[in-house]
Parts: sequence; structure tokens; C-alpha cells
Amino acid sequence: MRNRVREQRAQRGLSQAELAAALSVSRQTVISIESGRYLPSLPLAFSIARFFGLTVDKMFDPDEEDGR
Amino acid sequence: MTTFIRPRLRKPAWIALGGVLFAAAWLVRGGPLWWVSILAVIAAAARAISLYRMGAKDTDEGALAGSRADERQSQLSLRSRALACNLAAVASFVGLTAAIAFNAPWWWPFLVILAVMGFGYLLGLSNYGVAEEGQADDAGTPG
Repeated sequence: MRNRVREQRAQRGLSQAELAAALSVSRQTVISIESGRYLPSLPLAFSIARFFGLTVDKMFDPDEEDGR
Repeated sequence: MTTFIRPRLRKPAWIALGGVLFAAAWLVRGGPLWWVSILAVIAAAARAISLYRMGAKDTDEGALAGSRADERQSQLSLRSRALACNLAAVASFVGLTAAIAFNAPWWWPFLVILAVMGFGYLLGLSNYGVAEEGQADDAGTPG
């Protein structure tokens, strides 16, 4: 599943640590989500989408393979 | 109980408690090996200090040691525990089989471990949802 976390974070000029702090998760988890190694839970997916002002389906695309 | 303790101190506190209990067992046992209790206390203290120090690190291991794991780190810990439990089950089965083959009297601890694991698994199934499946919702079916 592809996601737009890295792209959205870069657009806002946030570091992974800053995003992690805003979402109350670890920096390692943000890295894992961005690289597609970890699929967040539904509550975390909603938190991420809300943080960036997008909907979950805009943030996470199940039809696209991640870039690994 | 441990929620009253600062998160970073929780795991070290459990290790220290375990070390004290283990040392007490050696002391209660008595005999010439009483000094093993001192070694147990030293080993437990060293492990507790190392866990406390690890708890400050910005890594997955640090987050787990410091009891501040997020959902991915908790899942990581859960999967590692499941793997450890599977390995222990295989080792217990091998031990039980070997003990039976050699007609050794030490077969029963392996059986106890296997039984506890089996019971624990069933307890997990009943606690975490199998009993809560409920009845099928028949809404939408012609009636």
C-alpha cells in the first residue's frame, strides 16, 4: 500500500521527529510508515490524515504498491 | 501496580524484584551455595541499570525498555514474544521426547511447560475474542 506521508511531511517542512511528536508515535514508526514497512492502525491512519488535512483514502492508496 | 512507577523505571523494577526473589530462594535454601544469592543480586542490579540506561535511547529497544512503546513497537514486542513462546514450545517438546527416550526422571518439567503453554493459549483465545463472535446479523436477508 502506497502512502503520501513523506510527500506531505516534506511539503510542510517537517522533520520525521516533529511529525512523530505530533502523532505521539516514535520517529522509527514514522520512518516505517513512510517506507511502507508498517501499516498503521485505523486510529493512527485517521490521526495522520487529520494532521495533514486529508482523508484517509487520499493519504493511503491500497491500489498502489509501495516504492520498496 | 506498575502504573504508579515512572515508565522508565517499570521494567528495571520488575528485574530487581525478580533478582531479590531469586536471591532469597538461594538464601532460604541454605547450604554452602548461599553466595549465589549475592551473584543473583549483582546480576539483577546490573541488568536493571542497563535496562534503565537503554530506556533513554531513541530506538525501538529503548522504547520497549522504557515502557513508552507506540503501536508498532508494541506489535514488535508481541511478535517477538510469540516467536519466543514458539521456540520454547519446540524446545520443551524436544526435551520431553529426549527424556522419554532416555528413560530419564526429568521428563515432567517439560510436560508442565507444554501444559502451561497450551492452557495459556486457550486462555488467550477466550480472553481476546473467540467467545465474543456473537450471532450473525441477519439484516438484509429475506425473511
